[in-house]
Amino acid sequence: MRVANMVPDMQYAMQQSQQALSVALQQVSTGLRVNQPSDDPAASANMVVSLASSANVDQFTKNVSSVLSQMETADSSISAVVTSLNTAITLGTSGASGTVTPANRQAIAAQVQGVLTSVIAQANTSYQGVYVFGGSASTTPPFVAASTTFTSTHGSATAPLANTTALTAGSGTAISDATTGDTFVFKAAAGDTVATLATAVSNAVAAGTLSAGTSATINAAGQLAIGTNSSADGIVVSSNDAALGSMTAAPGTGVPNAYAYVGNSTVNNVQVGDSMDVATNLPGNQLFTSGPNVIGSLAGLITALQTGTTLQIGAATTAVSTGLNYVAEQRIPLDNTIGQLNDQESYLGQDTVTLTAHQTALVGANLAEAATNLSQAELTNSAVLAAAAKVLPQTLLNYLAPG
Amino acid sequence: MASLSTSLLTAVQALVADTGALQVTNNNIANASTPGYSRQVAILQEATPTNDGSSSVGNGVVLEGYQSVRDELVQTQIQQETQSQSGANAQLATLQQIQPTFTTSTQDIGTEMSAMFSSLSSLSTNPTSASAGQAVLTAGKNLATAFNTASNTLTSQQAGLNTQVTQDVSQINQLTQQIAALNPQIAELKATGQDGGTVQDQQNQLVLSLSALTSVAVTQTDNGETLSTGNGTPLVVGSQSFALQTTTGSNGMQQVLDQNGSNITASLTTGDLGGTVQMRDQTIPGLLNQLDTLANQFGSAINAAQAQGFNQDGTAGQNFFSVPSTVAGSAASISVALTDPTQIASSSDGTAGSNGNLANLSAVQTSALPAGQTPGDAYANLVYQVGTLTSNATAESGATTSSLLQLNDQLSSVSGVSIDEESTNLITFQTAYEAAARVVSTVQALFSVTLAMGTVAAE
Repeated sequence: MRVANMVPDMQYAMQQSQQALSVALQQVSTGLRVNQPSDDPAASANMVVSLASSANVDQFTKNVSSVLSQMETADSSISAVVTSLNTAITLGTSGASGTVTPANRQAIAAQVQGVLTSVIAQANTSYQGVYVFGGSASTTPPFVAASTTFTSTHGSATAPLANTTALTAGSGTAISDATTGDTFVFKAAAGDTVATLATAVSNAVAAGTLSAGTSATINAAGQLAIGTNSSADGIVVSSNDAALGSMTAAPGTGVPNAYAYVGNSTVNNVQVGDSMDVATNLPGNQLFTSGPNVIGSLAGLITALQTGTTLQIGAATTAVSTGLNYVAEQRIPLDNTIGQLNDQESYLGQDTVTLTAHQTALVGANLAEAATNLSQAELTNSAVLAAAAKVLPQTLLNYLAPG
Repeated sequence: MASLSTSLLTAVQALVADTGALQVTNNNIANASTPGYSRQVAILQEATPTNDGSSSVGNGVVLEGYQSVRDELVQTQIQQETQSQSGANAQLATLQQIQPTFTTSTQDIGTEMSAMFSSLSSLSTNPTSASAGQAVLTAGKNLATAFNTASNTLTSQQAGLNTQVTQDVSQINQLTQQIAALNPQIAELKATGQDGGTVQDQQNQLVLSLSALTSVAVTQTDNGETLSTGNGTPLVVGSQSFALQTTTGSNGMQQVLDQNGSNITASLTTGDLGGTVQMRDQTIPGLLNQLDTLANQFGSAINAAQAQGFNQDGTAGQNFFSVPSTVAGSAASISVALTDPTQIASSSDGTAGSNGNLANLSAVQTSALPAGQTPGDAYANLVYQVGTLTSNATAESGATTSSLLQLNDQLSSVSGVSIDEESTNLITFQTAYEAAARVVSTVQALFSVTLAMGTVAAE
């Protein structure tokens, strides 16, 4: 074939070899064979799915770490409770001895009271702001000291207070809560009624100033009652409101053992694998008050030590012992879950390696091959350029004598 | 009978012929790099010999004229291949603009979708955590932004292509006018038996430019070239050109009309205009529809999961995403409707610490949307399509470029100017001219001798 002009072919060859060089250079510099969907559409699509799996595995790993910490906190608390209960049993056993004087029993009762306080503190353990034994009501301590109901002197069944009763403008009502350590102060403004105060108390509960369950209601005697309707100390109310009169303590209807569980029975589950969820909490009522009532047994032991006979102290100690066994049993599934989480952490680590390998196979460049391709592309490009430099200036005119 | 005068005449004719051949060679060399130029050759022919009855003597050479060397078949193939190449290039250029939006990055839809599900999973470990809740809202906003950006990329490309349609039509009309204007000149040359020469080259080059814009069929007639679009709409007949028009269609896009007002947009398949229309009316709407469907169904699925739970103040979950009721435009307008992390419906029982409903929200990741795929698979499918479209357009562009190179080589082997060849021609015609000039000198000398011979006899 007659060849008139080699420039277009040379330009095309140079463009092709430079493009090959660019691709080879990109693969070597990025370590990736697929840098955009058009490089390998199927691999790119698979990569989208694989990266989503990787993101899930990364998050599951973080979840495992977080849940593990929370469960280890719970486990540690239960362990401390077990220790405390053993202490209480030891104290109860010694208190049940006939040789112990009443004064010593009172001292032992005080020690058991300290154990109870310690158990309650463990039952109110929180991890990163989450009360681990509160069920899903985990933003406030699940066990609160039961409080006395304070009742106003005004109002009676024949002349009852009502929610619409106007308060005295400028007067103040203060509620001190030993559980939260805060004091709620209400100043009545003109137009405020009993309902206004009730709403303010409700808001203070929501804000955490007052213990959960605290409310201001009109009782059957037509008086304003403020408290959590429990039997032990923990709340003090004062008011100089003429409509309400002074506030006096009155026994509440009471809940067992001086502490109230204000959490719930909800168990939260967290996903730690594609098909694996774990329960992240053990509701406090299940652990401490359902079945053998651990807290109740300690309160019973205190009462027995304070006022009971040796037989009653012995029985109360046995009750604490039963509670101890129950708590220890409840700990087993928790420990099993911790073991599962540790295993899952290892599995997820392996899963990450597998996914990374899969992703490298999908879009990664074989570095040895990429380096070879780069050398080959460099060689080809050099050859094309050398050929162009040699061939293009070659014309008959070079050989014709001038003139 | 041979004579000095006859010889002189023969030599002069040779000088004329060689001068013409040298001029052609000169013109070829001058146009060696001119696009569309077809090399010319001088048509030299033996002059009619003198026959004196007993013998026949040649009378030298005659320059009959000039002829451009062409291959019409290859020229036509180049025009057709140029149409395919331009169409592929138009699509490739647009897809290369779209592709980065669907390439895995820190901000693409797939990554943001994963980030949202990760944030929901993280929230499940502490459903009352304000920071974890805020992370979910942020991830949701980032995902909505990724949808908005992808949609905006597609629609802005579509708008750019729409403008390109008008520009292409305007260029087509200019070219058809110029081609039509050349037809009478070519017809006139052919009528007198001449070669189209430079005018034909110009017209071929204009037709090639037209081929880069749209599909065009060329028919040779006595009145020059008749051009029509792929579906038969006439563009040039004789000296008359028929302008295409554009008008805004019901979808807001420019439609191409022939001289009768008929809409020929759908029939445009090759050339820059064909590729542009194909991308604007088929490819991008297809991708946009899938993107809108994904955004709409994903947002609705999350909203449905929200509705199953309760937010932190115990009220029923409200919509997480704001999505339109219709699919169209969903990707462009999807946004996060929640304004506060406490509005995330994590709870299944109304208590703030419950995470029961987060499982429903997370389940959206692994549940099939009404379109039949999980959100991740639907997005992966979109990535696959964009990748395949771009890959195919790249391959077609490369194949047509390679094919065009071969065709141009073929045409060049016939019509191209070879400097080496022209150099040898130059030497050939120079030598011939010099030889003819020497003959003139010789004849002149002989005339002088002959005249001198007469003078000596007189003395």
